[in-house]
Amino acid sequence: MDNENREALKKVLKAKVNRQLLYYLDLCARCSICKDACHQYNVTKDVLYLPAYRAELIRRIYKKYYSPIGRIFPKFYEGKDIDDEKLLDELYTATYACTGCRRCMYFCPFSIDTTWILGVAKEILNAAGRGCSILEELTNASIEKGKSIDLYKDIMIEVLKDTEKELQEKTGDKNASLPIEKEGADILYVALAGIHTIMPAAIIFHEAKKDWTLSLFEAANYGYFLGDSSKAKEIAARIVNEAKELKVKEVIITECGHAYRVMNFLYEAWAKEKLPFKVTGIVEAISSYIDNGEIKVNEGSFKEPITYHDPCQVGRNAGFFDEPRKIMNIVAADFREMTPNREKNWCCGGGGGLVANPEFEDFRLKTGKLKIDQIKETGAHAIVSPCENCRLQLDNLNQKHGLKLEIKSLMDFVVDAMPLPGNL
Amino acid sequence: MDTFSFIVAGIMVYIAVAVFIGGVIYQITVWFRAPKSSVRLGLFPRPNTKTGRFFKVLKDSFIFPQSYSVDKATWIFAIVFHGALLVILLAHFRLVREFTPLVKLIGLEGMDTLSALGGKTLGIIIIFPVLFYLFRRFITPHKDLSVPEDYFLVIILISIIAFGDHLRFFADFHVADYREYVQSLLVFKPYYPEAIANSSARIVLSLHVMFVNILIIYFPFSKLMHIVGTFAANKVRSD
Repeated sequence: MDNENREALKKVLKAKVNRQLLYYLDLCARCSICKDACHQYNVTKDVLYLPAYRAELIRRIYKKYYSPIGRIFPKFYEGKDIDDEKLLDELYTATYACTGCRRCMYFCPFSIDTTWILGVAKEILNAAGRGCSILEELTNASIEKGKSIDLYKDIMIEVLKDTEKELQEKTGDKNASLPIEKEGADILYVALAGIHTIMPAAIIFHEAKKDWTLSLFEAANYGYFLGDSSKAKEIAARIVNEAKELKVKEVIITECGHAYRVMNFLYEAWAKEKLPFKVTGIVEAISSYIDNGEIKVNEGSFKEPITYHDPCQVGRNAGFFDEPRKIMNIVAADFREMTPNREKNWCCGGGGGLVANPEFEDFRLKTGKLKIDQIKETGAHAIVSPCENCRLQLDNLNQKHGLKLEIKSLMDFVVDAMPLPGNL
Repeated sequence: MDTFSFIVAGIMVYIAVAVFIGGVIYQITVWFRAPKSSVRLGLFPRPNTKTGRFFKVLKDSFIFPQSYSVDKATWIFAIVFHGALLVILLAHFRLVREFTPLVKLIGLEGMDTLSALGGKTLGIIIIFPVLFYLFRRFITPHKDLSVPEDYFLVIILISIIAFGDHLRFFADFHVADYREYVQSLLVFKPYYPEAIANSSARIVLSLHVMFVNILIIYFPFSKLMHIVGTFAANKVRSD
């Protein structure tokens, strides 16, 4: 690569240097306590997946350009140029394989957030034209779809008509509706591509008598997985703009871990603006509807032994541990915890866009081993997890290992337990 | 003072202290001049109150209990190393001046016994974690993760400890002599008192001081800054 390219990449790095990143790059003692925290290292025993090593790849670039001693003696830190081919190759795998579960951060004595460092790595890879091409295609497709939403709207309305009928049968209310573009509604619900993420939410909102409207856009943000923050912002901004136009008070994100993280933790920093509405995850919403008696569920109605998987972006990275467990304990007659659980829970292995990326398919199925072992240990016949990404991975693992598990979303789990005419 | 000792245990001490203080301030300035990302990178569960967060930062920085649950060996060696190091460092202040309150409590003789026993025990205990730090770097995956800096720091530490232990176990000069040397440094006229100057262990003291100088000169530019930065980084965890 030429010098000009190198300088351009150095600018990308420079723009990404912030205080948190400096702590992470300056403090790591390479003690490797993180090695057993990462399910990918744990299964593969390949140093490339050791969290400290993934971060070290960025640190080697940083030391060469920023450390007073590294600038003179780069070899002392194995300093590398930002356009070093071998380094970028390693960085690609180390970075795009990471599920962003941040379990390593939990165990690190300095709380080093490897995912944050790899976020910078993704920006560098993208700028070097080495971003993940599959995720890039998905990102661009998503942006294109957003630009020509009117084209998709008609198809969506057709589909929703059928769903509406189903909703009316299920709730026994002939006036039950699936509103879109309803100005002044209290809630904007952001679902995923797929009726299975719309239908149960519609039932819950209907039963709780909420004034809501369905977003035209899907919650998934491939730009975030790709690690191109400007594209990720563009994708998320469509939902933000829709919410502003409709003047809703609350945006509720469906069971999608990263979508909630983007909207609740990242968007305001990206856009440098304060959102004029509340961002809620559907788990939190359902939990409060049950608490307030707005929806009724039949206690102990799920008889089979069942377990709960904490999605990393719902648990460790967002703090919803008790809400889903409360629901599980009400509805399930035999709820069994996995070990470890809550903030120490193992990642399913499919996060960070891995389930959408055929390139890492074998890898994610292989590294899902710890999750499968955990589930087997509980002896559960069913599993609930409020994250589409986790469920896709669990479904694949289920088939691969022939576990005959029933994999449920938390919404479906709740709706099945509701005293609805359609459930009788 | 012989020329070598005058350079490494005299002049170099001043340079080292100056570089150490200046370097640490420089490094902290670099951190605080960088813009803080407004993204809250905290992990859950996290304390809701400021006081809760404050104590969590202290707990995470001093005992990092999470690390124990995933890698007991490394945690135990880390606690032993840092604990021993802290006590040893504090004990070195006896070479500046006597700890009067403690003398009142256990008497001068008691002080000498405590210092001899405590110093010898810790001087031996601290060898084990440092050897662990060294030898683990020769096996995978640490080997692939390590950079020259890691070996350099461990070798410097081993040198300091080895020469320090030699002084503790074999040298024929004692606390009063050290105190005279330290006082001479404090008034910017470094010299070795006779007992040290005439001792064959003189060179050991010079080397001990020299390696400490090297360590603290390099400290601000190294991963050792984790001692300073851990509080700030662990605070991000609770944000």
